[in-house]
Amino acid sequence: MLTREEGEEEQEEEEEEEAKGRRRAFSVNDNVDLLAEILGRLDGRSLAVAGCVCRLWNAVGRRDSVWEAVCHRHVAGGGSSAADGGCSTRSVVAALGGYRRLYRLCIGPALDRLAGSAGGRGSTTTTAEAAAAHHLSLSLSLSLFSIDCYERLGGRQQRPASLLFLCKPVDVS
Amino acid sequence: MKRERQETVEAAETEDEKGKARMDADDGGVDELLAALGYKIRSTEMADVAQKLEQLEMAMGSSVAANDDALLSHLASDAVHYNPSDVSTWVDTILSEFNAPSLPLPPPPLSPAPLQHHFNLPPDGTEQNSTITTVDVPSGPRCPADAYHLEPLHAPAVAGRIVYGSDTQYEVSLSSRDRKRMKLCSSPPSSSSTTDAATSPAVLPVVVVDTQESGIRLVHALMACAEAVQQDNLKAADALVKQITVLATSQGGAMRKVAGYFAEALARRIYRPQPARNLSRSTLDFPAFDDMLHQHFYESCPNLKFAHFTANQAILEAFAGCRRVHVVDFGMREGLQWPALLQALALRPGGPPSFRLTGIGPPQPDHSDALQEVGWKLAQFADTIRVDFRYRGFVAASLADLEPYMLLGPVASDRDGEEEPEAVAVNSVFELHRLLARQGALEKVLGTIRAMRPRIVTVVEQEANHNGETFLERFTEALHYYSTMFDSLEGGVSAAPDAAGGGGRRDQAMSEVYLGRQICNVVACEGADRTERHEALAQWRVRMGRAGFEPVPIGSNAFKQASMLLALFAGGDGYRVEEKDGSLTLGWHTRPLITTSAWRIASAAC
Repeated sequence: MLTREEGEEEQEEEEEEEAKGRRRAFSVNDNVDLLAEILGRLDGRSLAVAGCVCRLWNAVGRRDSVWEAVCHRHVAGGGSSAADGGCSTRSVVAALGGYRRLYRLCIGPALDRLAGSAGGRGSTTTTAEAAAAHHLSLSLSLSLFSIDCYERLGGRQQRPASLLFLCKPVDVS
Repeated sequence: MKRERQETVEAAETEDEKGKARMDADDGGVDELLAALGYKIRSTEMADVAQKLEQLEMAMGSSVAANDDALLSHLASDAVHYNPSDVSTWVDTILSEFNAPSLPLPPPPLSPAPLQHHFNLPPDGTEQNSTITTVDVPSGPRCPADAYHLEPLHAPAVAGRIVYGSDTQYEVSLSSRDRKRMKLCSSPPSSSSTTDAATSPAVLPVVVVDTQESGIRLVHALMACAEAVQQDNLKAADALVKQITVLATSQGGAMRKVAGYFAEALARRIYRPQPARNLSRSTLDFPAFDDMLHQHFYESCPNLKFAHFTANQAILEAFAGCRRVHVVDFGMREGLQWPALLQALALRPGGPPSFRLTGIGPPQPDHSDALQEVGWKLAQFADTIRVDFRYRGFVAASLADLEPYMLLGPVASDRDGEEEPEAVAVNSVFELHRLLARQGALEKVLGTIRAMRPRIVTVVEQEANHNGETFLERFTEALHYYSTMFDSLEGGVSAAPDAAGGGGRRDQAMSEVYLGRQICNVVACEGADRTERHEALAQWRVRMGRAGFEPVPIGSNAFKQASMLLALFAGGDGYRVEEKDGSLTLGWHTRPLITTSAWRIASAAC
């Protein structure tokens, strides 16, 4: 939704520029931090899509800080990113591979899995209830992430598989 | 004799057609199709004749080896060859001849009471591949007698109620004819059919096998075999094992696999009463193989992850505020439990403590130092997240070989004048039950643990009593437990054909082998070899209490994490976390599987 608005905004700006000629309009692409702030409010899939818009958006969309905002938005226990605790979390996550990787390997599949199972259970729980009941915790995601990271160490021959249980498609029967 | 058998087979084959003919041509007179073949039979009598023929098949093809020859030779010598075209009377006369010779009775059946206790109906019961865990045996003295009689079926005195469904091919009217059959009180109609194939391998099965029905028979055959083994009636046990193998092929999925493993274990026990080598830790199997199986088990189901996560949570809470911590792991393997703990310690408010890990593992026959490699990997990991880490590996064939001084050890001398003592945690995942095989071993180990003055001892064990006094007790318990385990594995793997799905199936297969070895150990081994001596939490409480430990309740945080974890598993619908007196139990539907409990030294004893 936000991308559409931004797209519309840009279109308008272009029209304005064309229409008004010399008057300089504001473009979000001029202010990268603002762009990062906006992109950080998207969900994972939309952010990945936004990364396909242009090179600038791709570069900004790859920033770990953007993905950090995305992760914290979608998991419980990740509220304060400015506090001291957030700082140490950041360093640990960076050491393990970064927030983008964390989302890709753990949080994304986990959210998909939870959404799938909540949808599957259908009428018994409302979507709000289901979302609340299965609020993924940051600590759990980090634990799973760390196990995966550990498995990749030491150059094992077989590919690390401890997160495979998340990647397996949901059985829709 | 051959001619009769041939005719029986032919008649059996035509049962199929009879059934279909019944549906098609319901004329009150002689059935047309069969008449074309030369057999005169009235349509109204078709059901009865079909049943009688089946009884005949059962009788003739009965797996009681000793009796076969007697029966058939009797028939060959004394038989008057009645006109087989009048099928109805022909079958009647043959059957009556079966009743004439007296046959040795099999071992007496179990009383109905334990059967009712153990089996209850499946809640949803729609699964064709019926699971072994839920079968309702209604009250009535006839029912157990059904299952255990090895002699051919008499003209039955039992009035059975036949339940049939709309989608069965063989619509036969509700027969007043007696059948010796289990009453399925509320079995779902869709999965039963009226006629059942002979269980003998000699006769061609011609009708749809009712999987639920034969599942019940399978369970009863297993129980009968176990009882025979307990009574040292090895001949009957042998016959039953063969029967089990045949019955198992009629099942699908979890039931077939479980039955297969149990049948194999029973066979081992029968043919080799004093096993020369330990079956679960055989010298021929490398521990590397064991580790690999363990790894696949880790990946295929949430049991081990649950164990690790809940134990870690308890340890994390116990270490709150400590600057130096020491964890002793009784079963190091690949060290998969510890990255998560290290990460949690790194992120705790106040920063990470300095962490020391002592890993204990079995000796490796190929002299590779697996323990050191694991330690090295963990050190690398700890270095990445900047946690001060030290590691020590201990090779011990049995935990009872450990002494306290080995584990406490000299602290690294570069820390002189260190006031703060280490906080020690001892972690045991599925290791303590092995000690019960040797007298006094557990007490010694618990004493060693006490000598280390740990802050917390986390114990994860299977929630089942596979260490009962009698073989039959253990067998029954194990049958239930492993059926549930296999069921849960079945639910966890998706049917996707992609790489992840293929890996999932491989994981599942490996996990089944892993569990199969446990089954083999519980059933086929005795004495010091039987190391899989699982006991339930209540029993462990007593043991720990005697050794001077008191329980520490595991917090709600762990409960939430565990529930969340289970929700992430594909087959996770069946898994449940339960909290009981401060310990957490992972269960599949209603059956508990493993329990995590935490302990500390009882304050009174200090």
